[in-house]
Amino acid sequence: MTNPNAKTAALPYNRSRQAREAETMLDHITDDFDDNPPSMAYFYDLFRRAYCRGESIEREGVRVGTTCIHAPEELIYAFGATPVRLCNGSYHYDQIGADFMPAKSCSLVKATLGMLSSENAIPKTGKLDLIVNPTTCDQKKKASAMMAGMGHSVYELELPPAKESEQARVYWQRSVREFAVRLRQLTGKKLTRKNLMAAMAKTSRAQVAFRTLHNFRRKAPSLILGKDVFLVTNAYFFDDIDRWTDAVERLNAELAQREKDGFCAAQKKAPRILFTGSPPVFPNLKLPLVIEQSGGVVVADETCSANRMLYDMTSVDEWLLNNMVDSLADKYLKPCTCPIFPNNDDRIRRLLDLAKSFAVDGVVYQTFAGCQVYEMEQRSVAEALNKAGIVMLAVETDYSPDDLGQLTTRIEAFLESIKTRKRKAT
Amino acid sequence: MNFDPIMGRMTHRFAPVLLLVSLASGPVTALEGGCVLWISDTSPMRAEGAPARRGGGMGGMPMGGGMHSGPPMKRLWLLSGTDPQKAAFARGDADASVETLLVTPSKPEGESVPPPGEGHRGLVFEMPAQGFYRVYVTTRTLQERMLNLNVAKAEVGNFGHDGDEEEHDRAMTAPRALENAAIEIVRERQPKEGPFSQVRSGTEQSFIVLRKGLPVPDARVRFVSHQGWSKEVTSDGQGRARFQVVRDYFPPWGEFQKRFKATYLVIAEFDATEAGNHKDQPYTSVRYQATLSGSYYPSPEDYRSYAWGLGVGLLAALLSGVATYLYRRRRLRPFQEVRLDEKA
Amino acid sequence: MKRLKDAIDGVDLNRFRIWFQLAMFVLLVYGGYLAINLGNHLPMFACGFNQEGRGGICYLMPLQHQLARPWPQLFGMASLGVLTGFGIFWLWFIFLNKGWCGYVCPLGTIQDWITALRRRLGVRYARYTQDQFRHLSRVKYVLLALMILIPLGIGGGWFSRDMGTPFCLICPARMVLPLFTGDLSHLTVDFSSKTAVAMTVLGMLITGLFLTGAFVKKRFFCFFCPMSALHYLISRPALLKLRKDGDKCTRCGDCYRACDMEIKAIADDVKNADIMADDCILCLKCVAACPEPGALKATFATITIFESTEAGFIKRCQKGIGLDQPKR
Repeated sequence: MTNPNAKTAALPYNRSRQAREAETMLDHITDDFDDNPPSMAYFYDLFRRAYCRGESIEREGVRVGTTCIHAPEELIYAFGATPVRLCNGSYHYDQIGADFMPAKSCSLVKATLGMLSSENAIPKTGKLDLIVNPTTCDQKKKASAMMAGMGHSVYELELPPAKESEQARVYWQRSVREFAVRLRQLTGKKLTRKNLMAAMAKTSRAQVAFRTLHNFRRKAPSLILGKDVFLVTNAYFFDDIDRWTDAVERLNAELAQREKDGFCAAQKKAPRILFTGSPPVFPNLKLPLVIEQSGGVVVADETCSANRMLYDMTSVDEWLLNNMVDSLADKYLKPCTCPIFPNNDDRIRRLLDLAKSFAVDGVVYQTFAGCQVYEMEQRSVAEALNKAGIVMLAVETDYSPDDLGQLTTRIEAFLESIKTRKRKAT
Repeated sequence: MNFDPIMGRMTHRFAPVLLLVSLASGPVTALEGGCVLWISDTSPMRAEGAPARRGGGMGGMPMGGGMHSGPPMKRLWLLSGTDPQKAAFARGDADASVETLLVTPSKPEGESVPPPGEGHRGLVFEMPAQGFYRVYVTTRTLQERMLNLNVAKAEVGNFGHDGDEEEHDRAMTAPRALENAAIEIVRERQPKEGPFSQVRSGTEQSFIVLRKGLPVPDARVRFVSHQGWSKEVTSDGQGRARFQVVRDYFPPWGEFQKRFKATYLVIAEFDATEAGNHKDQPYTSVRYQATLSGSYYPSPEDYRSYAWGLGVGLLAALLSGVATYLYRRRRLRPFQEVRLDEKA
Repeated sequence: MKRLKDAIDGVDLNRFRIWFQLAMFVLLVYGGYLAINLGNHLPMFACGFNQEGRGGICYLMPLQHQLARPWPQLFGMASLGVLTGFGIFWLWFIFLNKGWCGYVCPLGTIQDWITALRRRLGVRYARYTQDQFRHLSRVKYVLLALMILIPLGIGGGWFSRDMGTPFCLICPARMVLPLFTGDLSHLTVDFSSKTAVAMTVLGMLITGLFLTGAFVKKRFFCFFCPMSALHYLISRPALLKLRKDGDKCTRCGDCYRACDMEIKAIADDVKNADIMADDCILCLKCVAACPEPGALKATFATITIFESTEAGFIKRCQKGIGLDQPKR
């Protein structure tokens, strides 16, 4: 690990260790399962091009990187810029990022820093004109200065430390308005009612497509596997939003057909798992993949790389510019179930509701080693779930593939216990 | 003709020039103050200037308002005199023949009732149904060879606010004159008049003189206001006489009462050459005389001001509007100072 | 049945309300010309001073009249009348609960029209801070108390009769609603006595404030309405109810954004099922703005009549953002 960049420079990218990491994961996702939906081909291909072959998926115009779901993408679109979500799941970058962060830090933050420090970051989304770093957890906050040190221009979007109070809400609305002013400086364009409306329509359409997909997952037996859905939502990080929505709509059409045909994507008695905790980001789909390889099926999730990112929709009462921006601000703060906030009631209620409405048998709670907030919430979540009669497995892991064997054993045991319980119940 | 004591007193009391002119235009005739009989719903024993009722109810509404059981009662007094404020109880005249007729909503042809009792007891009757009640007191006296025929009439409405529309409509369309009344005055209704309408000072009011249901042209019709100001005109071809109900209520501001109930009196007269016998005494001519009294109230225009109302309202709207505008322009309230402008 | 339910849940509530309110406005402000009379115990501001056009009368007017009777009468025979009057009012009320405010009240409708005008002009609306909200929210109870105590005082002989129907004298409906039938006579100051001057000047001041207030603040007057306070005090047995399933709520605040009355509890309270607050006008905009299926609903005698659904939310939300025909 002297200079990883030198190594990639020597080898063509597609033969690098980094590309192999992505390729192995993608091969598992596609080849270990029968009956992948044909319309998933778009996403498999997208990841293969971006992560395995290192192809450029750059887009025109101003590019704004975001390190968290709290950065309002509608505003970025409204200014004619393109948002790129920077949260990274690569073990390769995790290792590079270890130079910046203490050893016991979150893999996701390390990997993101690692990627940002690389010359030819994968996926190749082009040079970033601005990085928006919402002040969420400590590790992300402190990453700001490091990103700036790497030569990026960083904007700290100030998120209040709590979200319940009216004060916090008003504070956050101001932050978002100021962010709009910053974007105006960056792009030199005006924010108008019309272009914000168009931007919101774009996101809304994507959200509607996501919600449709989300609802298909309620069906038992399952129509689609969780590993595919994680791939779909991961693609939202960097794919063109309209193209992404088209692809999801095609997938939805196929799922509708599957439903009509009575198709089963997993065994009828496969334990239905709700996935929560630290976000799985490609290529780190290790844990969801293990669950589904072991005979479970991830039917729902409560993570900021999927559900939390796309589920909550904006409502506007009066379509006037300031109102629309305030409405957006509300959407990005009020329903957020991120554990950085003092109260975790909303997250527990959300989990219980998902568990109930998706007929979930068990919950898998992933915590990245070093992500303190998720670790701290684990106890209360487990208690609440157990009270509701839902078993939960807490898994602490990171991006390294070393614990794969141990994870597989634990997941298999967990799924087996669920099956036993179900058998006894019937 | 003769000096009229009422007119004489009137001229010195009279402040507004406007009315002087209009009154001067009327021909002055002789009406002996003492022998005009009319019916009032206010006892002359009452203090002057009493408002309609302390309960704030409308004029013409039954008394009591639930204080006693049974149908509402109405009490009327037969007065004599031409000044509404100075008239006294009519004294019984041994020579006179008096007939009293009560017309109720259920008996449109009328029924005879005993004549009003002596003095203070007045004429009391029950008003069991909703509608208008009319009382006719016909007095015949012989003066030398002339018969004085006086019909004093009163119209009283009995309506409750909870009465249904149909009853009100029926009352408003019921006939208002008697076909066999020797003479009578009918107050013509204002357009859009309802059972609770009141006559306001300042309005134009017309009266029709009828004899056996037929209009009487060229009768002398006199209108006497609460303060005794009067005007006389001659009825036109349709028996109609028009008057302006003059404003004659000018108290100091502190004593002004917007529900001040004033009484007007209308007297119509004409002579006819008719021969006949009254109580076995022959007569060669008849002087027909009809009276009708009613009440009127200060017009809202006398005490309401649009200028002030609109002024105050607009001022409040304007001030609060400007205040809001300035506040929005200049405020630097924390968290609100950043505003986005589509054009900037 | 399911299709009917979907159609209702997917309704464009704002448009439905505009037409319904218009129909109710015509009924109550011009109904008198068509010989419509719904009586004088209506639980909203169908102003009785609109002499000609009124299709019914706001209960507050006869109530204040009745309470101003002399005490021996009021606490004697007339008490029966007061109680039956209240009973009729209550029967009207429990039928729609505060829906009278959000759907029927002509003064509320006028405020919504003024709001629509403001929106057209692109002027943003004002909001209270939570502190202002808390304090101002009490005003309506004070007005309700005064509205009952002053007429009682008149009956007892302490106040001038010119204070009769004290709330009507300062209620903007008295000035505004008769205007719609061409009656301008209430835009005046009454100089007949000192009390009358004071009350009518106050009335005109409030009318002026009402016009500005309604322009910058949604449903400005409803916040201070004593009828609203009276409603809330007797709302428990009402048939129309606003209910919330806190388990399904994500506290996204979409309902709070839509709320004309700025009721924060609608978004934050996940414990109470009966969620109607004292300022609520039961316009059900919150239900329409809720994306979580079944989280908010309107029930009539425990039967759900309008429920938040995802499809309904998307349909209503899309209208504003031109998503009517999703691209294929």
